[in-house]
Amino acid sequence: MIRALNNRIRVGAAVAAIAGLALSGVPAKAADAPGVTKDTITLGMTSAQSGAASPGYNKVGPAMRAYFDYINEKGGVYGRKIVLKLEDDKYVPTNAVNKVNKLILRDKVFALVGNLGTATHTAALKKTPIIKQQVPDLFVNTGYSGFASPKKYPTTFMYLPSYIMEAKVMSKYIKDKFPGKKIGILYQDDDFGKDGLAGFKAAGLTFVAGGTQKYASLSQATVGLTAQMTELKSSGAEVIIIFGVTSATAVALRTAAALGYGTTWGPQFIMGSVGADPTTLLTLAGATTAEARAATLRSLTGALSLSFLPAATDTEDEYVKKFIEINTAYNKGVVWDNNVLVGMNQAMLVVQALRAAGQNPTRASLIAALKSKGGTFASAGYSKLDSANNVGYTGYWVGRYNSTGVIAPVDGGKPVVYTADSSTSNGDVAVSTFTRPAMPADGVPTNS
Amino acid sequence: MLAVRSSHKPSATKRIILAIAVGALLFVASNLIDEYRIFQGAQVAAYLVGIISIVLLTGYSGQITLGQGAFMAVGAYSASLVVQEFGLPIWASFFVAVIAAALFGAIIGISAGRLSGPYLAGATLAFAVGIPALANAIPILGGEQGLSFDIGYAPGKYADTVSPYKWLFWICALCAIIAIVIAVNLTSSGIGRQWRAVRAHETAAALSGINPARSKVLAFTVSSGFAGLAGVSFSATVGLVAPSSFTLALSFLLLTGSILGGISHISGALGGALIIVIIPTIFESWTEEASLGVATYLPGIIVSALLLLSIALAPEGPSELLHKIRHRHRH
Repeated sequence: MIRALNNRIRVGAAVAAIAGLALSGVPAKAADAPGVTKDTITLGMTSAQSGAASPGYNKVGPAMRAYFDYINEKGGVYGRKIVLKLEDDKYVPTNAVNKVNKLILRDKVFALVGNLGTATHTAALKKTPIIKQQVPDLFVNTGYSGFASPKKYPTTFMYLPSYIMEAKVMSKYIKDKFPGKKIGILYQDDDFGKDGLAGFKAAGLTFVAGGTQKYASLSQATVGLTAQMTELKSSGAEVIIIFGVTSATAVALRTAAALGYGTTWGPQFIMGSVGADPTTLLTLAGATTAEARAATLRSLTGALSLSFLPAATDTEDEYVKKFIEINTAYNKGVVWDNNVLVGMNQAMLVVQALRAAGQNPTRASLIAALKSKGGTFASAGYSKLDSANNVGYTGYWVGRYNSTGVIAPVDGGKPVVYTADSSTSNGDVAVSTFTRPAMPADGVPTNS
Repeated sequence: MLAVRSSHKPSATKRIILAIAVGALLFVASNLIDEYRIFQGAQVAAYLVGIISIVLLTGYSGQITLGQGAFMAVGAYSASLVVQEFGLPIWASFFVAVIAAALFGAIIGISAGRLSGPYLAGATLAFAVGIPALANAIPILGGEQGLSFDIGYAPGKYADTVSPYKWLFWICALCAIIAIVIAVNLTSSGIGRQWRAVRAHETAAALSGINPARSKVLAFTVSSGFAGLAGVSFSATVGLVAPSSFTLALSFLLLTGSILGGISHISGALGGALIIVIIPTIFESWTEEASLGVATYLPGIIVSALLLLSIALAPEGPSELLHKIRHRHRH
């Protein structure tokens, strides 16, 4: 009798436990979507993990994985652990096609997240089944405005503000602070650089004769920019825009020092956000000699740069603070910098998108959730994330590097964020009124 | 393919029948395997043609090349240009690629005719470095991002039912089969014998009535034509013709594949192509940690190690080694 009662209690307890688990959000069954099982959600990413353009950017993917590990330890997304398959495309379009094909066809990932590079991703969109299989293509890590096209690329969402926006903000700042000065530019000769040029044109910024220089850096290493920097010097440009990847920016700064920057030559450098991580710039320079590092630092001191996230050195920022903690615990041995911040922030957006897609997500529900709720996600970004229109962040602040390579807002205090759109028919820039959502408790999103 | 070595060589007709049978087999296979394997199959087919072009030039004619990527680039760019600028149909662009690369090869062959051994290798190496850089500097070739090359979908009502990967595979496999048939027939013809004679002993070949210079130029021209076909097939797999597709690394990869497969026989090309496509995939799936430097470079290290081993243990390639072992057992 007593044994029978005990059994009943046991059965009752088991039923209660199962009901409790179900109510607490553990999915009852595997969702009907590729890459989603009862216990896991598999995501894919391609980036430059090696090769000429990889310095700095090769830290973004591992940083994302570190944040996912942190979330997995906290229970994952509705009980499912996030698995990130990270593939190296070396910043070469041909490789990107191969790797994205592998991720979609063989690994059957649920979504692509944070694929990095303009030319690489253009090729992938053209020759892989991203569009055909409606694979969510979240937070592409480039500012090429062409990707924000719901008609052409219905499943692609950007992460960075567009290069056109960046060029407009940069133009406004240059016109306001350096009126009448001669302007020069060094840009990457592909859609990345050309998108920037379109923005400068829209904003009515004109360059001095001989002051428009380009470099090619996709397939070859950036072997030298002496010719370009010498041309810029002899053009008499007083403000020089460097619109390139980090490895090219490092070479440009080092070359400038060799050409007499700081002694016989003193233009104002202003750098695009994707090439401006000081830790990477100085590590790249220091990889050769201490003098090279000192030379780069000399050129970097006083240079201006645009950012859409807080400075990685702003340890008072609640997002930066938490991400540093996660980096220390889950990304062991990796030096904290802007690239790690970019990756962690991106991963946090991905987690919120997955949560918003529901307990049994499908590719369609993920895209719909991002479209309708992306603008409300908590993130370190100082401007609105315009996922409703497949656009990434929409604003930048301007900072200046000091003699130790630390960047701070130009006017001191809190950064002033400028916002613009990607239209090439105007150069309009406005001060952003966006209020950033607070960091979720413990850095773990609980949105739905 | 082993038939090339046997004393009872099949006739050209039999070879064509065999090729049709292989084609039919591949067609059936393409309906049974998953899309990623089909995509890899297309890559293998493209590399296969590239390796054949090296085998013909180096294995048969004895001229060392380090710059086959350059000839592939010439073919691929020509194909893309005639489609974009003159509106030629895609199928015609494959012929254009072969002809353009062959013409380019003929010009290079004539001028490089005086070079041999390491000097010729150096000259071809210069092309491998120079051609992508040149392509980058000519605006009509689309700079770093290159030109689009889209073979599109299967025609007519098949567009919806045949996956783009199958379509791609069929085209690349067809090119590879045609290339193999032509190469095998060529090498077992008088021309092939002349090439081998020149490779073995130039003076002796000249004494027996062969014009070594003409023979070498012809080998260069034919090999470049094959490289052009490889270039256009390779571009079809990625939908793009760009300088970054035809780097020095590609030239070396093809050379590696040809040595691993066995540079002195057409039959080795398939093995070589399989090795350079499959090995990286296997090792990547073993490691799956692109964040670790070692995993990123591991496939390259393994292929390089195989190359060193192959040169040390079987300089003529594994297929030749097997042939020798079999031959030894017969005595």
